[in-house]
Amino acid sequence: MNFAVLSHMLALRLRYAEPPTFSVFEMVLLAVLIVAALIGFFARFDRVLRNIFTARKDSDFHIAPLGKRIWDFFWEVLCQAKVIKERPLPGLAHAFVFWGFLAFALVSTNHFASGFRLGFLDSDGWVGGFYFWFAAVFALLVAVGIAGLFIRRFFVRPIWLGRKVSIESGIIAFLIFALMVTYLGGFFVSPSSAAARGLWWSHALCILVFLPLIPHTKHLHLVLSPFTIFLSRGEFSHIPPLSGDEDFGLVAGKDVTQLVALQAYSCVECGRCSEHCPATNTGKVLNPKEIILGVRAYLNDLGPHSEEPLLGKYNSQEAAFQCTTCGACEYQCPVGIEHLPIIIGLRRGAVNTGAWEDDYGTKLFLALERNGNALGMSATERDKFIKKQELPIFDGSQEYCLWLGCMGAYDPQGREIIASFAKVMNYLGTSFGVLKKEKCTGDPVRRLGNDLVFQQLAEQNLEIMKQQKVTRIVTICPHCVRTIAKDWKEYGASPEIEHHSEFMARYQDKLPKSDGPEIVYHDPCYLGRYRGTYDQPREVLGRYGKVIDPPRARERSFCCGAGGGLAFLGEEGGNERVSHARAKELTATGASIVGAACPFCNTMFRDALAATSEAPPQLLDIAQITAQAITAQSRATSTPNGAQNP
Amino acid sequence: MKIIVAIKQVPVRDSTLRIDSSGKWIDEDDLSYEINEPDAYALEEALQLKEKHGGEVIAVLAGPERGSQTIREALAKGADRAIHIECDDLAALDTLGIAGRLAAAIKDEKADLILTGLQSDDLGLGQTGVVLAELLGIPHATIIMQVEADGSGSSIKVKRELEDGWFQHVTMPLPALLTIQSGISKLRYATLMGIKKSKTKEVRKLSASDLPQSAAATVTLERVYLPEKKKETQLIEGSPTEAANKLVEKLKFEVRVI
Repeated sequence: MNFAVLSHMLALRLRYAEPPTFSVFEMVLLAVLIVAALIGFFARFDRVLRNIFTARKDSDFHIAPLGKRIWDFFWEVLCQAKVIKERPLPGLAHAFVFWGFLAFALVSTNHFASGFRLGFLDSDGWVGGFYFWFAAVFALLVAVGIAGLFIRRFFVRPIWLGRKVSIESGIIAFLIFALMVTYLGGFFVSPSSAAARGLWWSHALCILVFLPLIPHTKHLHLVLSPFTIFLSRGEFSHIPPLSGDEDFGLVAGKDVTQLVALQAYSCVECGRCSEHCPATNTGKVLNPKEIILGVRAYLNDLGPHSEEPLLGKYNSQEAAFQCTTCGACEYQCPVGIEHLPIIIGLRRGAVNTGAWEDDYGTKLFLALERNGNALGMSATERDKFIKKQELPIFDGSQEYCLWLGCMGAYDPQGREIIASFAKVMNYLGTSFGVLKKEKCTGDPVRRLGNDLVFQQLAEQNLEIMKQQKVTRIVTICPHCVRTIAKDWKEYGASPEIEHHSEFMARYQDKLPKSDGPEIVYHDPCYLGRYRGTYDQPREVLGRYGKVIDPPRARERSFCCGAGGGLAFLGEEGGNERVSHARAKELTATGASIVGAACPFCNTMFRDALAATSEAPPQLLDIAQITAQAITAQSRATSTPNGAQNP
Repeated sequence: MKIIVAIKQVPVRDSTLRIDSSGKWIDEDDLSYEINEPDAYALEEALQLKEKHGGEVIAVLAGPERGSQTIREALAKGADRAIHIECDDLAALDTLGIAGRLAAAIKDEKADLILTGLQSDDLGLGQTGVVLAELLGIPHATIIMQVEADGSGSSIKVKRELEDGWFQHVTMPLPALLTIQSGISKLRYATLMGIKKSKTKEVRKLSASDLPQSAAATVTLERVYLPEKKKETQLIEGSPTEAANKLVEKLKFEVRVI
């Protein structure tokens, strides 16, 4: 018997069976149960909606660009791309459950309609026959998927799901499983049998019990997260401008905006954010998931109009200030929560009102107020460095303005990177100049939430840019790149800026090429996740050696610990320094060189590599590696000449 | 407690200074200014006293228009109001002249306590506070490390820094004037909320002509010049031991660095 005949026979025999008719009593009972379930659902959901809708409006929200929103919705919601990509196995299981739910939308509608003798899908008909089978395939996939997820949650128990096992999740998993079994069972009974009626009612009851369980559990994400993803802020780590004289950031419930509330209620508690958080991974108080759940608990208890501070009972100030703003959480989140605007918002609330008291932090703020650089050095030190390196002063005639940044101007290692990059630019014959006066871009204060100092620095720098007619900047620091390109926009049009890796990659064909050792490249957060620059630094490094990736690379790169102003806040608590955790990972690759592309990563790893390894790999910026190759090349070409003149 | 803090605006520390064409003052064109550091501590002390005992903090500053930036910062950090004596001739005044203006501007306030930094970072005379106290006819104490008010409003206990690690504890009646030592506490940072609030705070502007004229300056500034750099090399002769002894002697008594 061939396969076609067999499937034809099966299709004839196995047909989805529903009771042919329902009594008036059954119809009344069904109506009562549906109303009860809907009341149960809306009684709880109503408060959630009210908390979202009556929250403060997001003043800078624009629905444009619509195309990107539709694409994100298609890709992240319908295709479940992020869910699958970041955790393939559970992601796929989840995707099947999701797609199964979509397939079941029609089946469930028909299910309740037929309970009122209004069924529109006929299993004997061509459309109905096909659709019931189509749904049955998904029913199988959902059953397998949800069983897998159940096993994962209750037996494998990854720590990121939380230490406490959620009983409700078990009940929901059971309901979904039962929903599928009662559906599939319908294929093995005859329509007029008592079994068919029993299966029909069990299936209906599963849905009706499920409904009221949605609004107060993490399963609310299945209602909200499609909206959350569609209504994103539009770009990674977008920090909204403060609106009006009474807005100091997220101080209390009254400052929680609609997007923040929507996102807080969308959290599915999967713990992907915690899994990738450098603070959580090194035993700090901060757990990004708890921050989001803290905001949700606050809204549940006090609502979006309260004056009670957000930092206190519901969220810890210590945690908020342990964030390196690396953005791994926001990047990972499958339900569209934007952690950075929330964490930075909480910091803004604390700093802009003076509630945050920290010796290091105060020292940093005062240094930036007075000296205009984060290291608190005198500007004359910068002048001396420029003079010593014979760096040309920007006068408007050169192609590029080379932005030094605080690290490039004052930090010994940063200075070496600048000197190396200047050498590369000279080698390529690109004209450039440095500014006589330059202040910190304000990156550390922007991330720590000091809007006053940030505004001062941004405005002062923009004024310098205007005076000097700067149009194109290149710099060695990804933090400067991000802040100039995105954050300054709030205060004026900033010049075009690029990172030196992008510059060097563009001219890579003119740079020397040599066979070198293995180089492990560390993706800086502010170059990778913040800017999407992953390939250019690798292309540059690829000319001098074999580039290898550490276990966590590219979009999943693990922070060095310096971001978010933390480089200036002293040694962190927890059970390990973030920089040490990463340094060990880099050393373990066995590469002889660590390739860095950010002066902050560089300074963190300088100490961390030495502290965690007896024979640490050499730490070099991509510009230093390139400059060394240029030196080696010029030596090689000059040797024959030298031989001619003994 | 009503506290007045006299603050001064000085060039940002580590500025590159140039002498102006008159040779009597520095070229101010390219300079940035900030609050005189000891005055920042005086302000901090005043704010802390207010936080503990309640009352009002009033900042007073004599100087040109640019001084309003420093006044704004003081208000942002928590001062309740300010008095700005607008004048461009500070360099031409002597201590008595400046103290006279300050005294005239604040005498009607009848403050319980007047604080100033112990000296300014630019001229470093260290007398303005003391002379101001004399003009107001109230007691003063200098180089203060700590202030304790008992809440009675009639007296305070202060800790003065003496030489060589010695301290002096003094109980003195109010009203009084104290000159505050630099670095005695942790300064607070200015906040956005503070700046926004400061916009509604009162700044009373006085011009020098509103105030009674003080006597002509008895001390005048003749010339301002940068320290001359000179390089002097001395060869110390003798055996290593002798040479080392001589070197130690010179470092101790001539150059006075050890």
